[in-house]
Amino acid sequence: QDLAKKNTANRQVVEQRRRLLEEWVAWREQMKEMLDEEGIEVEVEEDAGQGKDADAEVEEIE
Amino acid sequence: MRPILLQGHERALTQVKYNADGDLIFSVSKDHVVCAWYSHNGERLGTYHGHQGALWTVDVHPSSALLATGGADNTMRLWEVKTGRLLHTWEFATSIKRVEFSPDGRQLLGVTEKRSGHLSTIVVYEIDPDVDAEQTDEQSLRIVCDESKATVAGFSYGAKYIIAGHEDGTVSQYDAKTGELLLNITVHEPDMQITDLQWSADRTYFITASKDKTAKLVTTNDLEILKSYTTDTPLNSAAITPVKDYVILGGGQAAMDVTTTSARQGKFEARFYHKIFMEEIGRVRGHFGPLNYVAIHPKGTGYCSGGEDGYVRVHHFDKPYFDFMYEVEREQANL
Repeated sequence: QDLAKKNTANRQVVEQRRRLLEEWVAWREQMKEMLDEEGIEVEVEEDAGQGKDADAEVEEIE
Repeated sequence: MRPILLQGHERALTQVKYNADGDLIFSVSKDHVVCAWYSHNGERLGTYHGHQGALWTVDVHPSSALLATGGADNTMRLWEVKTGRLLHTWEFATSIKRVEFSPDGRQLLGVTEKRSGHLSTIVVYEIDPDVDAEQTDEQSLRIVCDESKATVAGFSYGAKYIIAGHEDGTVSQYDAKTGELLLNITVHEPDMQITDLQWSADRTYFITASKDKTAKLVTTNDLEILKSYTTDTPLNSAAITPVKDYVILGGGQAAMDVTTTSARQGKFEARFYHKIFMEEIGRVRGHFGPLNYVAIHPKGTGYCSGGEDGYVRVHHFDKPYFDFMYEVEREQANL
């Protein structure tokens, strides 16, 4: 029974996170459209992937 | 993630900044000196001498050719990065607490301190990005903060708004052309000073740090609080990381505010929170005084912190930092 409770609690946490992430992604899309409409170009590193940058590679070797 | 220690300052650090490429770090301190460093190895590139008092603030021009500083000698100064040449000095009645260039580098704002007979102001100058140009003394805008003094301020995306944080815990949105106050929202606990305001990469939102022990993620357009990060120590600084969805918070109890000071009690750690889920995911120790400022590498590959202990610590993130993902993030990435 405890295990069932724990599973429900975990599921709720995951559901909550999924919701927060979806909200965030949707809001970011809105903001990108807003910037487009304002005619503003931004060099955005954000959402650029996994940081496979020269610096990061050097760190891995160490 | 072995940090590089930048040794050279003799007193507390007040602000540290990366340039747009992230290859340089600029630091200012109460010791009156501005230092420039190579971020990859911590080698000192040079120093900028001339200020006659403690320095509170520094910002690098988007082109990396110009540097702006401000401090307790009531001056805001413009420097040539490469040579250390002082290009211009603007004089005020009170000290300069914050300087920041607009995203296009055409404007420079300064926040002036409040003192008997002088209200706090936000002043704006048009900047000629040519290092040999004559800079103007004429203010293109002057905002008087008569409700509560401004402690921090900066330009939004497209320099459409000026956003300021105040001593009373509120955030203001001003029209950056007219100076008209458009919004004023209580973001932090009333009368708990806002200590820092840093932008997201596209400047559509920003993060504020406060003495109320929290940091808040706020939208530029509506000053709506999106996220709140709660800690157990007064915060001096907060930064938003590009690439990964984290925020980095820095602070700590000042020595004068605690009866016994040890690194453990002072909580002198950089704290990493997940930006979207608002959960703490890690801490980095090292400073033996409060963290006065944290700055993130513009490409998100590392960060540096300036401490009350007089040190700048530069960290290059290693693989686990980039690999770490919540299950739901993994799902999202695989969509």
